[in-house]
Amino acid sequence: MSSSHDTHASHAAAPTHEKKHLALTLHVWRQRAATSEGKFVTYKLDDVSPDMSFLEMLDVLNERLIANGEEPIAFDHDCREGICGACSLTINGQPHGFERETTTCQIHMRRFEDGQTIYIEPFRANAFPVVKDLVVDRGAFDRIIAAGGFITARAGSAPDANALPIAGDVAESAMDAAACIGCGACVASCKNASAMLFVSAKVSHLALLPQGQAERSRRVLAMVEQMDKEGFGNCTNESECEAACPKGISVANIARLNREYLRALACGD
Amino acid sequence: MVRRIASLWSSSIGKKALMSVTGLLLIGFLVLHLVGNLQLFADDGGKSFDAYAAKLKSFGPLLYVAEFGLGALFLAHLALGLRVTFENRAARAQRYALERDRGARSFASATMVVTGVIVLIFLVIHLLDFRLREMAPDGLAAMVVRRLSEPAGALIYVVGVAALGVHLSHAFRSAFQTLGLSGKGWDTPLARLGKAIAIVLGVGFAMFPLVFFSGAKKASHQASLEPARPIHAASDVTTEAIR
Ligand code: HEM
Ligand code: FES
Repeated sequence: MSSSHDTHASHAAAPTHEKKHLALTLHVWRQRAATSEGKFVTYKLDDVSPDMSFLEMLDVLNERLIANGEEPIAFDHDCREGICGACSLTINGQPHGFERETTTCQIHMRRFEDGQTIYIEPFRANAFPVVKDLVVDRGAFDRIIAAGGFITARAGSAPDANALPIAGDVAESAMDAAACIGCGACVASCKNASAMLFVSAKVSHLALLPQGQAERSRRVLAMVEQMDKEGFGNCTNESECEAACPKGISVANIARLNREYLRALACGD
Repeated sequence: MVRRIASLWSSSIGKKALMSVTGLLLIGFLVLHLVGNLQLFADDGGKSFDAYAAKLKSFGPLLYVAEFGLGALFLAHLALGLRVTFENRAARAQRYALERDRGARSFASATMVVTGVIVLIFLVIHLLDFRLREMAPDGLAAMVVRRLSEPAGALIYVVGVAALGVHLSHAFRSAFQTLGLSGKGWDTPLARLGKAIAIVLGVGFAMFPLVFFSGAKKASHQASLEPARPIHAASDVTTEAIR
C-alpha cells in the first residue's frame, strides 16, 4: 500500500507529506424503494485513503457491506470524470459537496478531515423522486428536453465547419450554457426546488445560435410548460443554483430564459 | 392569445413577471408618497401638508380610481407572493435533514414572504390610522404627528418601514432579473440601485416616526396653534383657495 502512495505523493494537495488514512463517520440515507420510508444509517470507516475519490470511498463501503451480506448503497454514477452529470449526492447539506464547480465524483477524500462526520443524502425535490437510497429519478429533465430542447437540422453529411458565421462572444455564451451536464444540482440546491438554471441553460444554448432560431419561441414555451408540469418550484432569484452548479452556469441565463419566455408570449408564433 | 395571457397568471415565469411589474409600480407609488410626505417637515405647522392632502381630495373620483388601482396592484402582488411561496414550499415535500447554502442567498431574499406579510399588517394599520378614520378637526398633519409621537405608533411605523426596506433590498434587482432585464454589465448597477432605493425608502419613511417621536418636530407643530404668524396666514389662503 505505502509504496503506491509514494508514487502519487507529488499530486497530493494535503499539507503534510505523509498521508494519513482517515477515520470517518457516515450517515447515509437508506431507502429500499420509492414508496418505502427512508432513514439515515450510520457507518464507520477507519482507513479511508486520502487518494480515494468520494465515490471510491462509497465503493469500499459497499464491498464491505456485500462481504457482510448486507444490501450495498445504491448511488448514481457513470463517467466519474465530471462530465456526465450522473453522480447526484448531497454531502453535508450541499449537492456535490462543498467544493465549487466540482462534481461528487471529482471530490477527493483528502479534502475531508480525520474524524469527520459526513451526511450523505439524495437530491430532494418532488420532481426528483427517490428510486432507492441515494438514487433519484431525474426523468423530469429528459421530459423537459423532449418538449423542446432540439433543433431541426438537415440530416446527412456534416456541414462544413464555420459555414455559419457566429459572433465570437455569442458563441462563447452559447458554449458556456452548453456546459450544463444536467446533473440537477441546481434543483437540489434551490430552496424552491426550481429547475430554472437547467432550463435556462438549455434554452440559452439553442436560442443564441442560428441553428436554434426555427423553434425559438415554441421551444421556450414548451420547455417552461413541461418544467411547470413536473412540479418544480418558482425561481426567487437567490442564485444558490449558480453557486452550486459544478459547471458554473450563470444566472444570467435565467434572465435570458425569462426574456425569451416573455418575448415568446408577446410576439412568438 | 387568451391562453398566452392566462400563462401570465399560471406559468412560473408569468407569475413572477406579474409580481415584478406590480412590485415595481408599487415602488413607484412609494417614491411619490415619500416625496409628498416630506411636506410634513415644512416649518408651517402642517399647513402645506394639509393643503397637499386637500389637493389630492379635490381630484374626487379620479382619486378613487387611483386608490383602486393601487389596491389592485397590492392585492395581485400579495396573492401571487403567497401562492409562489406555498408552491415553492410544496415543491420539496421531503426536506433535507441537513441543508447548507453557499452564501448566495441573503437575509432579505430568504425572508421575502415574512417582510411582505409585515408590510401587509402595517399597511392595514396605516390605512386605519389615516385613511379610514374620520379627519381630525385640526387636520391630517396634526393627526399624523400625534400618532407618530406615541410610543406604540412610532414603533409600528418604524418596524413596518424597516420590513419594507429589507423587502426592497432584494426585490428591486430581483424584479429586473425576473423581467429578463439584467445580465451583461447591468447586474452590479441594478443591485446597487436596488440597495439605494431600499435605503432611501426605508430610512426616508422611518424619519417621520423618529423625528416626531423624538419630539424634534413637536415645537413647530405646537407653534401652529399660536395665532397669526404671517407664514400661516399665507398658507391658510392657499388652503382656502384650493377648497
Ligand atoms: C408596498 C409593498 C410591496 C412592494 C413595493 C413589493 C415589491 C416587490 C418586488 C419588486 C418584488 C420582486 C418580484 C420579483 O422578484 O420578480 C417582490 C417580491 C416579493 N414580494 Fe413584495 N412587495 C410589497 C409587498 C408585499 C407583500 C404585502 C407581500 C405579502 C406576501 C409580498 C410578498 C413578496 C414575496 C413573497 C416576494 C418574493 C417573490 C419572489 O422572489 O419570487 N410583497 N416584492
Ligand atoms: S459520474 Fe459523471 S459527472 Fe460524476
